[in-house]
Amino acid sequence: MTAFLIRRIAFAFVTLFAVLTLVFVIVRILPGDPAQIILGDQASREAIEAMHIRLGLDQPIALQYASFLSNALRGDWGISMVTGRPVLAEVLNVLPWTIELTLVSLAMGIAIGVPLGVWAAVRRNRLVDYIVRIASLAGLSFPAFVSAIILLFLFAIELRWFPVISAHKGSVQAWTQSITLPAVSLGLNSAAYITRVTRSAMLEVLSEDYVRTARAKGVPQRIVVWRHALRNALIPIITVAGLYLSTLIGNSVLTEIVFSRPGLGKLIVGALNQRDYTMLEGMMVIYTLAVVVGNLLSDLAYGFVDPRVKLA
Amino acid sequence: MMKIFGATLVVAALLAAGGAQAQKKTLVIGMGSADAGKLDPHVASTTPDKGLLQYIFNGLVRIKPGQISPDTIEPDLAESWTSNPTGTEWTFHIRQGVQCHWGYGEFTAEDAAYSIKRAANKNTSSYSNDFSSIASADPLDKYTLKITLKNPVAGFLGYVANINGGNMVCKKAAEEMGDGFSKKPIGTGPFMFAEYQPQQYVRLTANKQYFRGAPMLDEIMYRYIPSDSSRDLAFQSGELDMIYGKQDQSWVDRTKQLEGVKVLAMEPGELSTLFLNITVKPLDDIRVREAIAYAIDRKSIVGFKGAGSSREAVSVVPSGYLGTDEHAPLFPYDPAKTKALLTEAGYPDGITVKTVHTTLTGMETFIEAIQAQLKKVGVNLDIQLVEHATYHAQIRKDLSPLVHYQAARFPVADVYLTQFYDSASIVGTPKAVTNFSHCNVADDEIRAARVEPDPVKQKELWKTAQEKIIKAVCGIPVYEQLQLWAWKDNLDLGYDLKGSLNLAPPVTEKTHFLN
Repeated sequence: MTAFLIRRIAFAFVTLFAVLTLVFVIVRILPGDPAQIILGDQASREAIEAMHIRLGLDQPIALQYASFLSNALRGDWGISMVTGRPVLAEVLNVLPWTIELTLVSLAMGIAIGVPLGVWAAVRRNRLVDYIVRIASLAGLSFPAFVSAIILLFLFAIELRWFPVISAHKGSVQAWTQSITLPAVSLGLNSAAYITRVTRSAMLEVLSEDYVRTARAKGVPQRIVVWRHALRNALIPIITVAGLYLSTLIGNSVLTEIVFSRPGLGKLIVGALNQRDYTMLEGMMVIYTLAVVVGNLLSDLAYGFVDPRVKLA
Repeated sequence: MMKIFGATLVVAALLAAGGAQAQKKTLVIGMGSADAGKLDPHVASTTPDKGLLQYIFNGLVRIKPGQISPDTIEPDLAESWTSNPTGTEWTFHIRQGVQCHWGYGEFTAEDAAYSIKRAANKNTSSYSNDFSSIASADPLDKYTLKITLKNPVAGFLGYVANINGGNMVCKKAAEEMGDGFSKKPIGTGPFMFAEYQPQQYVRLTANKQYFRGAPMLDEIMYRYIPSDSSRDLAFQSGELDMIYGKQDQSWVDRTKQLEGVKVLAMEPGELSTLFLNITVKPLDDIRVREAIAYAIDRKSIVGFKGAGSSREAVSVVPSGYLGTDEHAPLFPYDPAKTKALLTEAGYPDGITVKTVHTTLTGMETFIEAIQAQLKKVGVNLDIQLVEHATYHAQIRKDLSPLVHYQAARFPVADVYLTQFYDSASIVGTPKAVTNFSHCNVADDEIRAARVEPDPVKQKELWKTAQEKIIKAVCGIPVYEQLQLWAWKDNLDLGYDLKGSLNLAPPVTEKTHFLN
């Protein structure tokens, strides 16, 4: 177990280093100049060059890279080139919003997706199965920004149950009101995904010999399905949920924009549009960490749900 | 559907009115961007940032709220001013007792001098070019500021008005905070910076000591909502009182249908110009450039963009600026001439012209319409779409023989002519601004007009400059896009809104909600 963790963490570091280097190089290859964006289109070339010096962009690229790496190692992510605010503070400001939305929608996805998938597998090739399969396919193919607008239109404009600007904190009621629509919008998509994976994993398990044995010896259907079959089908479901955690963080950008919520997605799109090098680099560390940690957690979960899996 | 909408709105309005009888004191504005940029008036260059900062700052003088013409300039922090006959020495008498926000003390001539020097410094300002003619700015006493110019400057008062570098910052605050000033901008205006929530809003609170009187509103919530649809929906649901519109005609038509809403296409118009690089083949041939100019049908472009939100260009300078030739001799639409000219220039089979273009929606639909018009006469416009920051970088490296650019500037012809057509502003050169065409045909007139003390002669020079530029086809002006805004009609702005050089409607001490 410990050896496994050490190996995984060492591997995470290598990944992080590779990603950082790649990001550093790519953002600098991109045409577009942060100084121009900060100063606007009426700024003279002289003013832009003065800004380059202030941002350290006049230094040789190798020197920039060296100072970037040494700062990153010391946990100093620098100052946003565009807003002048510290990168870490900007990230930490919006991180709770993203984590909150991701976790609630993932929970929603599991709560809807697992039972639906099981149900469809048990009723294979019957009406329920067809409906669930078509609905989940529709859920997967439906762009999040369209479903988001429809949700807003129905529940915020016509019914007025929820606000359009879904970013309120304070009372529990305000929080619930403002997280519901975005979480549903994002959750439906992950529910569709999880439904399909659960269904196929269950189908495989249900055709195993031990399931037939259990049935033959008269174990009630409820117990066969939920205790014997589902537990054995959990591994692929967890893998997908773990992978999906990182996609959720990425997918959340459209949800954040439509529901006017703060979040990492909006931050990274803004940084990209404005060529905010320092901000982009900081964001990449977060995303890489999210993916690495997501995978690590699902690996650890395997051992937890299936004692046969040994982490070594 | 609209009826259901209307009914829902009325019910909601009744409910809201029943729930809160007290007069509404918070104005919630929805702005079309994801977040605040750098909230420093001498650096800010985007619509969202300028729009917000105008509530916090004053100039020495100001353009009357709701107007954009320099003719309406009136006292702001300076109560009065005088200048010598040649316009090179200006004395401003600063209003007494004006207080900087959050207890930063009285605003005096020393603050004004500091602010001008800060705006003129290329290390602290995006607008240092505007102040390159200033020789000195010094306080004579606590309430008197003297500015000396190296040469007369056309429309000088505009540079010390309440936009861009003319915004007056408080010295003590700016020095104390340094780079941090943009995190808590301190000015003298009707509203004070109170709170910033990343990607959500900036909250401004009323400056009770404002020299024109305490504002009638208590607060402004300036919300950042990048999605056009979400802004519209939040406006309909009553969460926003005023919104920056989606910049197209269909939005105007749709929003006008809503009850209790005012929609305005506001000045200034952003002029869309096609700049032709006169130094590269085949555009170096005047006949080719003329051929392209004859192929552009301005009227049908305005029909395409919507008559309620756009209008035809009148000259290479936007209409309504001091010095614009409102009846400039633009090329008429005459596709037959295009073909003749192309044949004469040796291109009977037509030509291909490359343009590097941004993916910003409004601009992209425009260039596609232009492409269709040019195609009819054998000019193949090769559009290379890139994302906006890439576009800005590449057009400044001469990578685009035809550049489509959309811009409004301070409404004095000199600014537009200097930035886009003076050879000193050619991209790639040390003083480069946005002369993409490498135009140099009107340098003499532009430079002479800049320092000409006689307004009549000055206008003549500007007129000649515009004629020369049009004749040389350095740029083909096409249409002007107005700024689209909507607000609830129970909001009384307190002035007559025609436009705003800060690109968002002003909110003054008199702005309030009617009950």
